[in-house]
Amino acid sequence: MAQDRIGTLIAQLHRQNIDRREFAQRAGAIGLSATLIGQVLRAVPAAAQDATPEADGAMSIGNPDIEHITETELGMVKFISSWPLTGASEQLGGDMVASLQMALDDFGNAAGGFAIEYTAMDDGIAANNGSWDAAREAEIATSVVNDPDAMVYIATYNSGAAAVSIPILNQADPGPMAMISPANTYPGLTKDSPNNEEGEPDRYYPTGVRNYMRVVPADDLQGPAAAAWAVENAGLSSAYVLHDNQLYGRGVAVAFRDTFEDLGGAIAGFEAFDQNAPDYLALMTSIASSAPDVIYVGAITNLNPGKLLQDMRSVMPASEVTFIGPDGLINQAFIDGAGEAAQDAYVTFAGLPPNALQGAGAEWYARIRELLGHEPDAYAVYAYEAAVVAIQALDQVQDNDRVAILEAMFSTTNFAGLLGTWEFLETGDTSLTTVSLNQIQDGGIVFLEEIAAPPVA
Amino acid sequence: MVSTPAASTTWEDDADQRQAWRERLWLILGIIALALVPFVDSALGINRLGSWIPIFVFIILAMGLNIVVGYAGLLDLGYVAFFVIGAYSCAFLTSPSSVFVQNGWIPEFFQGFWPAMAVGWVLAAVFGVLIGAPTLRLRGDYLAIVTLGFGEIVPDFFINAAAITGGPNGIGQIARPPSIPLPGGNSINFSSGDLDNWYWLVVAVGVLSLFIINRVYKSRLGRAWQAVREDEVAASSMGVNLVRTKLWAFALGASFSGFAGSIYGGYITVVYPDQVQFSTSIIILAMVILGGLGNIYGVIIGGFLIQSFDRVLADELNAPLHWIGDRLNLDFLREHDLQSDRFLIFGLALVLMMVLRPGGLFPSRQRAAEMRPEDQDITVQEQQEMYDVRQDDEPSAGERA
Amino acid sequence: MDFNLDLFLQILIIGITYGAMIALIALGYTLVYGIVELINFAHGEVFMMGAFFTMQVVLWVGVTSESATVAVVGALALALLAAMAFSGGINYFIDRVAYRRLRNAPRLAPLIAAIGFSFILQNIAIYWRGSNPVTPEAVIPLEIRSLNILTAWFGLDTNLRVRLIDFLVVLVTIPILIGLSWFVYRTRTGAAMRATAQDREAAALMGIDVNRTIGTAFLIGGALAGAAGMIAVYYLNSARFQMGFQYGLFAFTAAVLGGIGNLSGAVLGGFLIGIIWAMSDGFIRQFIPEWGAQWTPTVIFGLLILVLVFRPSGLLGEQVPDRA
Repeated sequence: MAQDRIGTLIAQLHRQNIDRREFAQRAGAIGLSATLIGQVLRAVPAAAQDATPEADGAMSIGNPDIEHITETELGMVKFISSWPLTGASEQLGGDMVASLQMALDDFGNAAGGFAIEYTAMDDGIAANNGSWDAAREAEIATSVVNDPDAMVYIATYNSGAAAVSIPILNQADPGPMAMISPANTYPGLTKDSPNNEEGEPDRYYPTGVRNYMRVVPADDLQGPAAAAWAVENAGLSSAYVLHDNQLYGRGVAVAFRDTFEDLGGAIAGFEAFDQNAPDYLALMTSIASSAPDVIYVGAITNLNPGKLLQDMRSVMPASEVTFIGPDGLINQAFIDGAGEAAQDAYVTFAGLPPNALQGAGAEWYARIRELLGHEPDAYAVYAYEAAVVAIQALDQVQDNDRVAILEAMFSTTNFAGLLGTWEFLETGDTSLTTVSLNQIQDGGIVFLEEIAAPPVA
Repeated sequence: MVSTPAASTTWEDDADQRQAWRERLWLILGIIALALVPFVDSALGINRLGSWIPIFVFIILAMGLNIVVGYAGLLDLGYVAFFVIGAYSCAFLTSPSSVFVQNGWIPEFFQGFWPAMAVGWVLAAVFGVLIGAPTLRLRGDYLAIVTLGFGEIVPDFFINAAAITGGPNGIGQIARPPSIPLPGGNSINFSSGDLDNWYWLVVAVGVLSLFIINRVYKSRLGRAWQAVREDEVAASSMGVNLVRTKLWAFALGASFSGFAGSIYGGYITVVYPDQVQFSTSIIILAMVILGGLGNIYGVIIGGFLIQSFDRVLADELNAPLHWIGDRLNLDFLREHDLQSDRFLIFGLALVLMMVLRPGGLFPSRQRAAEMRPEDQDITVQEQQEMYDVRQDDEPSAGERA
Repeated sequence: MDFNLDLFLQILIIGITYGAMIALIALGYTLVYGIVELINFAHGEVFMMGAFFTMQVVLWVGVTSESATVAVVGALALALLAAMAFSGGINYFIDRVAYRRLRNAPRLAPLIAAIGFSFILQNIAIYWRGSNPVTPEAVIPLEIRSLNILTAWFGLDTNLRVRLIDFLVVLVTIPILIGLSWFVYRTRTGAAMRATAQDREAAALMGIDVNRTIGTAFLIGGALAGAAGMIAVYYLNSARFQMGFQYGLFAFTAAVLGGIGNLSGAVLGGFLIGIIWAMSDGFIRQFIPEWGAQWTPTVIFGLLILVLVFRPSGLLGEQVPDRA
């Protein structure tokens, strides 16, 4: 396109329609805009380049006893998802949407006699630098509740956002509407936990009926499991705990700290790091002077933990101080962000990491990798499973009855998922309690062993 | 300004009156349009009533910032700080999770939504004065940076002082307005599903704010703001108390931010410290500038345009864009997501507005004259010529530090 | 707790390195402010673009850590020049299309336009390299980056560490500072810049092309930011689209602290802010148990407010046009 334009310009120059100065200016402008558009094009994810045809093995995911119905004679229903898709969360949110869409494609975009129309909403706003906005989330949740075709709300990424939208869906008319999250890990959303605020979790369910499920295990699993492994298996006795001052990061960090202390370890420090700081060398030098055996960092990738790890390694080599992080860090972006410093860092994950999956999971991993062109974010697994739970509920109910769909989703059992076979507990949590310990080796994630949280005293 | 005797109908009076009538006409039309929104929304099944509530909250914010920037000419880059203060004061007073409530420091009376909102309003104004008092003697851009610093520190405080504020967990269970009983056994409720009632509430609050701001602007204080903005020294020698005038602008501007914050808190029922950032202040500023600094109706329209783009249009415009991409067979358009361009669009809006239409879409009459760049791309020669004729047009004393 | 001298000195060294980089950015701020009295809010983003372009150039040249030392050094020198040209060009372009038209508009107009540009540049950076932190191609091997020159070169027996990369940062910064001072105080263009700063109209009467002079100031300010961007990429070994914001604010604080418009003030302010940053991150917790790095921005912005309120002309005095 730009070449054509420049060709026209040259012709004009020859015919002396424009003088040289003007020619140079216009050519420059075309060149610049072409470069810009080129960059834009590069940024558009490779997603949706090839609509994945219905793959064979995909149907083995979910409860095998539920028959899938691909006819669409009953009409159309909507699934709506909501999480940030721009700014710092662009890649992560995009991976989750792509994975969810892949699940729908695998099932032919239909279930229980209905065609499924999927809309990915963004609960982030520019005024917030692209991160989630409470009013926006409330607005999306309300519009979902008011849309009679909407059956399932697959949301949110941020637990804080879920705290806003769960009550809205809970008070839907005629009865509570199903909300299923692929990523919320704050324990207080569903269950009693030592760090809960007043009235959690019941305050999220004003009608007294539970309408919220999550296919991802909560924070009270990973932090304690990592602490138990650190004290009992690795023999580490003093820990410095850092977090990103967000609901998730602080939550896992607190859980790690408490268990670590309970098991007899010493906590050398517990504090937040500034996600906007360009450099942490001074912080790490100071931490090194307290000589911890392990540094635990509760954070998600886009809040700069990669740089934190780099600066940690420049004063504390991996042979002396162990690094452990939660599943917010189990993605390629973190490994790339930390560079060489990522070597030998431990990251836990509730379940097996995408690349260590077996069977259907392994197949899913190969396909999503090809689709995205990069390592998928770990939460993409859960986005896929959440969609399948909703599809199978629709297959059972075969009616656009939200209350019945909610019941069917809640009673999901024997679900052969990508991460293993599980069911929903009565709190809406998954029954899976596997936590895997993984290590970053040569730029890749290597699964080491399954670890477990100590029984609650 | 001296008031003209009512009898003498000069041309200017006539123009003023026509202007006033036109304003009133637009206002009435606007209110009618707003009143129709819920009916149209439900009749057409648009289901977007929920979008209007934050839009109105932000319009109230923009109206408040317009007092500070548009009327008094003081650039405030940390305006959301007052919004945070408003929302948190509402949370501290009414939430059972707040340490203040748990320690029994809050009298029962203040634990309701309405009293808490009043407190939020006053508290934000007090903070406006506290920030304003030491900084008002600074020149314009230094003042902007101080307010920016303040806008960074306040959310930092709320996120870091976890013992009081709950840190990143925020504070939940903020009180909502109590139901208003109606004769006949019905009542007006304000739970999350009652979007209609929330809509009427924010519209009412918005119109009330507009009314108050308009009254103030037309009062002696409003004229003092304009005088200070135009020429501080001249205003001062005419007997305007600079400090008091500026402080009032800061306090009133902040109070509307606090007002908006407490309503927002009541609507969402949870406050999180990471919900406001520097960019929020900038977006509010963009709304004021887009609409037209100093023209409150312009600001309302600017706020409406930007907020609806951010919350609604960026979503909705994707479909037509992809359709065009399909027709033209351009993959770039077909797959592009407009939501990822929002920063770019706001940035361009700010720059283009300043360069091409510095008064905004609907410039206030006085400010239009003031904001227009007088000479563009001047050559040395032109500049020298200009200098010859512009001897009397030296920068006014008011712009001296 | 006892005063830990080793730790104090170590943090001080880190603070000086932070300071060198802040000083470079602050110089650009102060240079532009001194002449047109504009807080070029987009300056931090111009710095960020320099960092991004550096990575692009190294990618284009195609050197890796395996390449010969000469090739690496050559590529880095090329990247430095390219980043300076690129950032300088962006800054000049911004002035040309926006600020120049707003020379006679009220002060707020160019400031708002600058904020607009900072948003635009951030979005371009997201299109360019995505929103996650990016690690540059590891052209300088880790062993060399983190070589402790105190023990390796000077043979000192000490626990203190001055990494080669820290040394290089300061080493690159100083000639740039000297070169800039020479340019502003010893060349014709520099004299024109100072004259324009003093009185734009009188300068125009004296035959100085005011617009061109101001454009030059933007070009140089941008080039400094580009140099800082190149240095930052290899010092931090990380870059992301938001990196300009906080660095930019810290640098602005430094410029104000030293006295805005004052070149040596910006350098002094830069080092002070760098040291305060490092101390707050790494040393204060020795005395205040609950202290954490999360309070650092609060400390620096608090300092900014205090300086502006109580000593708006900064430590070394401001040098701005008197018609201000």
